[in-house]
Amino acid sequence: MRQRTTFIQKSTAPFSPSQATLTQDALTIQNLDAAREERVTFSFDELPSEVWQVLRACHQIHIRWASSRAYETVSPFSSRVSPGIHVFFSPVEGAAVGEGEGATESVCVLLKKVFDDGLGCESVEKSFITPPILSTRFASTAAYQFYELLPSLENLVTYIQQKICGRDDEECFRRAELIRSADSIDINYDSISHALTMSGFWSSAPEGQKGWSEIIRKHEGGTDQVEVGLLGADKASEPEEIKMGGLLAAIGKEKELKPALFSFPARHHLLPDDARYSVTFSPSTGLHPTMTISMARSSLEQPQARPDAACALHAYLTLPSSVFGDKYQLSTTDPLFLNSHNLVALRAVAGETDLEAPDWFVSRWGSNWLLELDSPSESDQSSEDWNVTIPLHLRYLRPSESGYRAASIPWPVVFWACTAEDGTKMSMNPFDRVNLGWEGLFGPRTMFYQLHPSPGHGDGVLVEELDVPVLTLKEGGSVFGSQVIELGTVAVIVLGFLWVLWKLGLVARSSGIRSQQGQRTDKRDKAE
Amino acid sequence: MASLFRTPSLIYGAAIAFRVILLFYGAWQDAHSPVKYTDIDYMVFTDASRYVSRGDSPYARDTYRYTPLLAWMLLPTTWSLPGFFSFGKALFAASDVVAGWLLSKSLILTHGMSPERALKYASFWLLNPMVANISTRGSSEGLLGVLVIALLWAVLTRRIYLAGILLGFGVHFKIYPFIYGVSIIWWLDGSASASASDTKKPASETREPQPKSKLNPQSNLTPVGVASQIFNFVTPCRIRLTLVSLLTFVTLNAVMYLRYGMPFLQHTYLHHLTRIDHRHNFSPYSTLLYLSAAGSGSGSSINASPGQGPSGGFESLAFIPQLLLSVILIPLILGKRDLPGTMLAQTFAFVTFNKVCTSQYFLWYLIFLPFYLPTSSLLQNPRLGISVAAAWVVGQALWLQQGFNLEFLGISSFAPGLFLASLGFFAVNCWVLGIIVGDIGGSLVL
Repeated sequence: MRQRTTFIQKSTAPFSPSQATLTQDALTIQNLDAAREERVTFSFDELPSEVWQVLRACHQIHIRWASSRAYETVSPFSSRVSPGIHVFFSPVEGAAVGEGEGATESVCVLLKKVFDDGLGCESVEKSFITPPILSTRFASTAAYQFYELLPSLENLVTYIQQKICGRDDEECFRRAELIRSADSIDINYDSISHALTMSGFWSSAPEGQKGWSEIIRKHEGGTDQVEVGLLGADKASEPEEIKMGGLLAAIGKEKELKPALFSFPARHHLLPDDARYSVTFSPSTGLHPTMTISMARSSLEQPQARPDAACALHAYLTLPSSVFGDKYQLSTTDPLFLNSHNLVALRAVAGETDLEAPDWFVSRWGSNWLLELDSPSESDQSSEDWNVTIPLHLRYLRPSESGYRAASIPWPVVFWACTAEDGTKMSMNPFDRVNLGWEGLFGPRTMFYQLHPSPGHGDGVLVEELDVPVLTLKEGGSVFGSQVIELGTVAVIVLGFLWVLWKLGLVARSSGIRSQQGQRTDKRDKAE
Repeated sequence: MASLFRTPSLIYGAAIAFRVILLFYGAWQDAHSPVKYTDIDYMVFTDASRYVSRGDSPYARDTYRYTPLLAWMLLPTTWSLPGFFSFGKALFAASDVVAGWLLSKSLILTHGMSPERALKYASFWLLNPMVANISTRGSSEGLLGVLVIALLWAVLTRRIYLAGILLGFGVHFKIYPFIYGVSIIWWLDGSASASASDTKKPASETREPQPKSKLNPQSNLTPVGVASQIFNFVTPCRIRLTLVSLLTFVTLNAVMYLRYGMPFLQHTYLHHLTRIDHRHNFSPYSTLLYLSAAGSGSGSSINASPGQGPSGGFESLAFIPQLLLSVILIPLILGKRDLPGTMLAQTFAFVTFNKVCTSQYFLWYLIFLPFYLPTSSLLQNPRLGISVAAAWVVGQALWLQQGFNLEFLGISSFAPGLFLASLGFFAVNCWVLGIIVGDIGGSLVL
């Protein structure tokens, strides 16, 4: 089990050498005001058999989880995904069909066991979506993708403590508990490295603490590495690069913290703090809600990439199946429609885009949408917020007692994508992060500048709740139970049918009489 | 006013000008407003045509549920010539006008009307803003209107082969015209002399009913009587119509099936068997269908296959009253009295008792109203006419208000709002249908 801990301090945060003291077998940290990344690499024999049995059937599996609380990011950890759990999965190539089926179900079984028993994951075929069907760009994403809004990782903490930590390994228990306060969690496995890595990001020390205070010890067996970095990031001379400087240590191996200064090309770059957006749905949206992404105009300057770089603003939406976009409506090239919404184009869409199906006939989790957004022109002097609107539609949901059901929609991620210089090798970055769903829709040499989600309203949550009107159904002798609807419909239709039959019967009878008595024109009036 | 109808060029000119103005207005609105005049269905048709022009299947476009012929017909919309995108709308609008022309010709045949009186009633269709609006927005109902009225005209003028082709084509196009097959076959009476003069004279004129076997049931209950009845029924005319229409229908379907395979069958026909229609619409069944679909879809299947449809509830029997009325009882009881009136009653019954009903369905019977109105008690008894019109409009308005609350305000108005509104609208429609049946039943037997 290799372990790497990185503390990232902002340049404004205080640091004195006494806050970090390295001894023979441990590093002691005191009140360190910093963001933190924790990365742990497991080999197969350190994992429970139920985990590696599933992993053996995976060509690659990547799990991304982000908290629904708003959090700040720091460079080089500036990338984001929408709140919830995202799973990207490719099965082993050439797996026999029968074998593959078993494996795809077991992925869901394991996900439920590890994350939440309530996950809407049945099997890869039924619950996962396949990558973009309308992509106009080179796509490099996993074969299958799953998403669900998962507010808490409580289950993961318990799973690690019970199945991975040794019985008396208090250190392991304590570290697992840290997950509760994590802002995002990544899990990566691919069949080439044969290793499972898990990393977490904390934008600051857990609530109620002044900073990080802990003792990081060397691994008990002494065989596995424990690396710690105390770093700060700065702009490098090249726009593609990030420069980092600070102190590094391999615990148990080195006696002193070593100063370090290095730079590397990076995919994800930080925008200034004021580059913020917020997401709202206007009240009383009916069955056709419109998502509004509001950005302060001042923050919408193009990122400081190379002068010759082409940049475009994008939003990547993750919509649960209860909400969907009309791909025909959104992929239009009509400038009037696009301008009225401040959209440029729909770049990619994947997942459930059926325009008619009710939610209960949609088995997969939902859909992803990559939209290019318009940005205000330089001559535009208005000071109002720049609003991008995305027309969406609601599926019919099952009846409920109240007549409404909630649909929770995670905020999209909003970012600039800029071209980077040819030959830039992003993967040299020791903190590189890929398989986020959206970044694979761009070429490998693209730089991303993420805007910061900033909930204006009180609860600080990056999830919008919509009230979806549904059939009001009060079971148990109330006025509008299902039986009343059933019997009422049948009664009215039978009565209507009998009325028309009666009129037809009168006609049939009168024609019989008429054949004997001859013409009687007033018959109709009598029948009336 | 009457003089206006004496110059057909004025009326047709006005009908055409009206549509041309709407076409240009539509193009202008589409070019200047993000809210489009063009119907969303037109985008579906033209997308499908674009697929066809690239050699793909029109069913590559989601929600294209029509015959490939429609996409073929609209191929000119894919030509990159200015204005040709509106080719389909112009075609639909032209169909409207042709339908109006056939309507006036048929009115002369059925009601013995003077050309100007016929044109006056045909103007109900020709100058109807709803009709012009729907076709210039690009909805294909105008094509259906001309097909159905041409079918009637062909039958009235005894063009049996043409009638058979039109009937087979109409059913291929939109299924529901099959109901007219029954009334036409029943009406095509072997004993009736095969000429256009065999049609109805104004209702005030009295005529002896022709002797018909059906009208003397007592004398025909012997086996010989039944056999001769069947023998009498099977006339060359009826056989010809049946065979030609079947042949047309089967040929068209075979050609389309060979070209596009299963997707053609699935989207044009099978879709209507498996669709769940859970969305709110005018049909009295809509709330029940939402309820039963939600109850049965507990699994996680992606497609609503028939096995997972409504779970054997009443809604699966909905076709019984609908088809009993529109295919059997109305044609049999009314068919020989008044063919267009019977077709109106059939269509009205079919739409009223259908499991799904949207406002485009109202056009299906609107084309027959000019045949019915001249002799209807709705015009003869203005109080009744106004009550019927008011009840229908109020029934619509109540439903639309509930629909607006749901669709645009997000208020949960499925029950009781939409539920009661759709049942109320159904009741109004049944009342109207009863009046139509009574009126047509009270008219002269030909």
